Amino acid sequence: MAPPIYSALIISLGLGTTMTFASTHWYLAWMGIEINTLAIIPLMSQNHIPRATEASTKYFFAQATASATLLFASISNAFLTGEWDILQTPNTLTSSLITLALAMKIGLAPLHSWMPEVMQGLSLLNGLILSTWQKLAPLYLIYQIQPTNSNIFIILGLLSIIVGGWGGFNQVQLRKILAYSSIAHLGWMILIISFSPPLALLTILIYLLMTFSLFSSFMLTRATHINSLATTWAKIPILTMSTPLILLSLGGLPPLTGFMPKWLILQELTKQDLAPIATLAALSSLFSLYFYLRLSYAMTLTMPPNNPAGTLPWRLNQQHNTTLMALTTTSTICLLPVTPAITALLPL
Amino acid sequence: MLKILLPSILLLPSTWLISPKYLWTTTLSYSLLIASASLMWLAAPAETGWSFLNCLMASDPISTPLLVLTCWLLPLMILASQNHLMLEPTNRQRTFISLLISLQIFLILAFSATELIMFYIMFEATLIPTLIIITRWGNQMERLNAGTYFLFYTLAGSLPLLIALLLLQNSTGTLSFFTIPYLPLTCSDPWAHKIWWTACLLAFLVKMPLYGAHLWLPKAHVEAPIAGSMVLAAVLLKLGGYGMMRILIILDPISKELSYPFIILALWGVIMTGSICLRQTDLKALIAYSSVSHMGLVAAAILIQTPWAFTGALILMIAHGLTSSALFCLANTNYERTHSRTMLLARGLQTLLPLTAVWWFIATLANLALPPLPNLMGELMIITSLFKWSMWTLILTGLGTLITAGYSLYMFLTTQHGPIPNHLISINPPHSREHLLLTLHLLPLLLLILKPELLWGWSA
Repeated sequence: MAPPIYSALIISLGLGTTMTFASTHWYLAWMGIEINTLAIIPLMSQNHIPRATEASTKYFFAQATASATLLFASISNAFLTGEWDILQTPNTLTSSLITLALAMKIGLAPLHSWMPEVMQGLSLLNGLILSTWQKLAPLYLIYQIQPTNSNIFIILGLLSIIVGGWGGFNQVQLRKILAYSSIAHLGWMILIISFSPPLALLTILIYLLMTFSLFSSFMLTRATHINSLATTWAKIPILTMSTPLILLSLGGLPPLTGFMPKWLILQELTKQDLAPIATLAALSSLFSLYFYLRLSYAMTLTMPPNNPAGTLPWRLNQQHNTTLMALTTTSTICLLPVTPAITALLPL
Repeated sequence: MLKILLPSILLLPSTWLISPKYLWTTTLSYSLLIASASLMWLAAPAETGWSFLNCLMASDPISTPLLVLTCWLLPLMILASQNHLMLEPTNRQRTFISLLISLQIFLILAFSATELIMFYIMFEATLIPTLIIITRWGNQMERLNAGTYFLFYTLAGSLPLLIALLLLQNSTGTLSFFTIPYLPLTCSDPWAHKIWWTACLLAFLVKMPLYGAHLWLPKAHVEAPIAGSMVLAAVLLKLGGYGMMRILIILDPISKELSYPFIILALWGVIMTGSICLRQTDLKALIAYSSVSHMGLVAAAILIQTPWAFTGALILMIAHGLTSSALFCLANTNYERTHSRTMLLARGLQTLLPLTAVWWFIATLANLALPPLPNLMGELMIITSLFKWSMWTLILTGLGTLITAGYSLYMFLTTQHGPIPNHLISINPPHSREHLLLTLHLLPLLLLILKPELLWGWSA
């Protein structure tokens, strides 16, 4: 893609989300989300392969439906209450409709069907943008609604955790696995957003760190299938040590960073007398751990001198700029002891 | 406490910076130094409860023997792994040793934790190095399945524990071991109280393992390399026992009724797994099931919560740790020579390897609880306290002792006595390293005959 067009699209991506962040009027928020969607469509389909075109079409349909619902709900809210202010969305039918529209935007269950197929058609970089940057604007809007009735969020959250885990069981394509992992983690965020919005912010920040590290690891070796993970030891040996730790951190195992949001969310849920829901969420996250573990098996734990699981590639000397990835990988592994400091910063 | 913890942590950079020529000797000697320094914990005054305190860590008469066992085991693991890792590239050797050292660090933090959430995090943290040791360095294809069973059985048990601990923290405001025994614990809903009780114990029962939830253990022990088997049998199972001892204090008064099914299950497990041992063909599986059998006794003892029972459980945990680890090392000597775990393929070794036969004999006698070894002291105290609790348990425990003697002798007679198989053309004599390894296992066991007060826990 020509550099001017590429930079225009990237700037539009940033502009869209920033507009949504800066807005207090529903029109402007919706406009920001639309600019975001429109900017990413050409980025998704720049490959001109049928899979990418299909993915961008599906993404457009899903997002257009959700945006239209969002617009309808916010206009209905203005009609019923006379308020266009995002912060003044009283807890009526329209608030739930807005929540559902935003849930479809980010791919929460049961509105998640478009996520795996869209992610599968994208390149790893576009997939990274889809699962990190594109989630920010809708999550911010949910945060701004200041929800008080937690039922819809608990249902969305629990369903997403279960679907995110169960759906990824049978997958061998890495991008679909990452899509289901995204659904599961967003489920954890939505679960807690009505009780403690700062914790949801913490969860998404840590999720951004972990996903960025994982996507970067896959981008370095250009791995898109479980079998192609098996040759990582030949390309970049250090990745075989760090990626399983990133994967287990995504699975929420102590003493890695990924345990921190789960621990704090479970603590908040038990404070709200929702211990059975907390138990269900915790046990459902074991589903996702299973396929993260399978990825670690394929990558590291079946290395030589055991039988190699894939054919060996040419080893070419490649230049990698891994500064940012090194930072995020270290944070993904080592941040748990800093939990008290992070908890103190939470009311932000 | 930090006198031992910081050198253990600093073993990690040492492992990566030493030249390959001195890697194994240096790590062995440094870990042996740390192990001998850890004996200072045994000199703590036993009457005052906690000693060697700092803000987050402390040791008391229950955790001290387990801490010393953990520190003692690292040099033994390094000694045992040396042979099978010699052929690997240096960086992988360093990674393996780093995994063992990180396991030791997490275990020291777990046994010396003074707060339940810290204990929980370190309890879970031991899973990752063990998982990597089993699945990366195990020798058969089944090791992946073994790792999955190990991880998921333990996690499915321990996630409810996390929620139970968070609930406890909500109602009491603290989870510190110092204050928890004195807090009034009330729970309004009896049904919720029962579920909370089960959630607290389930993780430790799976880890011990209790007979119904023990499926991960034979897989994990058999597929692990020797260092993995040693640490699993010697220390990680005891982590479950220790956790149970700590948490039962706060689980009264409904423990009197609710622990019945688990006590019976544990005792039944002693007999069942003992009987399975009599029919095993795989040597490591036999030792693994024997571990389940001994730990069943320990679990039953801890659940009845009398002073003799706790003391017996603690003694049996330490004694079984040393004995089981020694048996796994002996099984490994067989495996390194024949590359098979089948007992029938390595029979009659007393004529071929008479010196190893001595170690087999002592380890077998320890396993079947011969007096005056601490194994017998532990088992006898447990059987006595169970008899006092209910005289019918004598049937199960007596039968269990008989079956234990049965399969231990079966193991010894099959591997040592009888005709030599025809296919054994040449078999290497035992290395001094192997003799040293077994001495370091069995000599502490023999010395503990002379001063068992070290293991008595609060009864000392």
